[in-house]
Amino acid sequence: MKNFDYIKPSNLADAISALKEYENAFLFAGGTDLLVGMKNNFLKPQYIIDLKGISNIKSFEYQEGWHFGALTTIRDIEVSETLQQKMPFLCQAASSLGSIQIRNRATIGGNLCNASPAADIATMFLAMDSQIKIISIDNEKVVGLDKFFTGPNSTILNRGEVLTEIIVPKDAEQFKGVYIKFGPRKGMDIGIVNIAVLLDADFESGLCKRIRIALGAVAPTPIRARQAEGLLSGNALGPDSINKAAELASSETDPISDFRASAGYRKELVKTLVVRGINTILASNRNS
Amino acid sequence: MVKKHQIRTTVNGEEYDLLVDPKKTLLQLLRENLDLTGTKEGCDEGECGACSVILDGKVVNSCLVLAVEADNAEVTTIEGIHRGEDLHPIQKSFVDSGAVQCGFCTPGMILTTKAMLDEIPDPSEEDIKHYLEGNLCRCTGYSKIIDAVNLAIKHSK
Repeated sequence: MKNFDYIKPSNLADAISALKEYENAFLFAGGTDLLVGMKNNFLKPQYIIDLKGISNIKSFEYQEGWHFGALTTIRDIEVSETLQQKMPFLCQAASSLGSIQIRNRATIGGNLCNASPAADIATMFLAMDSQIKIISIDNEKVVGLDKFFTGPNSTILNRGEVLTEIIVPKDAEQFKGVYIKFGPRKGMDIGIVNIAVLLDADFESGLCKRIRIALGAVAPTPIRARQAEGLLSGNALGPDSINKAAELASSETDPISDFRASAGYRKELVKTLVVRGINTILASNRNS
Repeated sequence: MVKKHQIRTTVNGEEYDLLVDPKKTLLQLLRENLDLTGTKEGCDEGECGACSVILDGKVVNSCLVLAVEADNAEVTTIEGIHRGEDLHPIQKSFVDSGAVQCGFCTPGMILTTKAMLDEIPDPSEEDIKHYLEGNLCRCTGYSKIIDAVNLAIKHSK
């Protein structure tokens, strides 16, 4: 690891001005990606700005939608009884990330800003139609998470900008959902394909009112399968329509081949997982 | 010139005032400055759990925590959980179950188990596997480790 200076501001304004003042400064949230990158000399910051001294971005609250401070840990989401009641699918995605040791430290803001195409929480937040708040020294803006990622480990964030909040619209609670991380082992792995499905349906008749499908590890960023969503929204959910949507979702992906799986395998897997995701939600809600 | 930081940290109930380099990890601080070598360095990138310690009540990989972050924090390592002359009940359970082979993963396993039982006193088998998934053992194959955890749960009742 290269030498660096450590700065720990106690409020956001100081963090933003430090980021502006020092070139080659990195924001430090949970550190579970940052420190690994620094140890491998893949990242060589001269300054790291620890955000953990800023108390008002560490928790979440409901206020016309859910507002999650960027430094909320993955573990805080996983174990929140309120969230388990309102949006259990979000807790499920949180629970599938890393290990307890990682979840105790890793933050949702860090997960988004690291911009891994396979990020668990990012994929779920994308399905939830989340927005993010970005603050800089003279500006504050809210943008859709679907506009945030620009490629592997890259986002729209410019130097001097800080992601401070993730906003989940209040209607997310109306959905039933599931997160599936597909891989050979449950813990401490990155999914071969990740999928988040949120479904708002009349479970008696099988009518799909709205559906959202987000996919991870099948494109340079987490993506939404918009065409598949469009095919099912407002229509009956039957084996034929679900299979067609699965085919369509697969065609919307652009995976790579790596040591985990080939691109072709990932494309096939998307078909299976779209069907599995929808059927899992149907099976667990038909009788409720 | 990199600025060192003065920190005050409590490790196993003892307070320390230390001057630390920003790039020193908590793991290095424990092993090199405090001679607490029970905490092991395995992968040094958060994959294996051998360096698990309890930081302000939460189990973390000490290789992914900077020493400077331990300022005003409480750290518990494997050296800090014994009860007087006696081993901690979780340590005894690991011994009695034969859950230790080479022993390298054991301190991390025990601290993660302690964090779990402090949080979930009566975990299911599923809970145990989920909680311990970040602690890798390359010798025993886990079944004896799970036996040890179950024995510790039995002893704690």
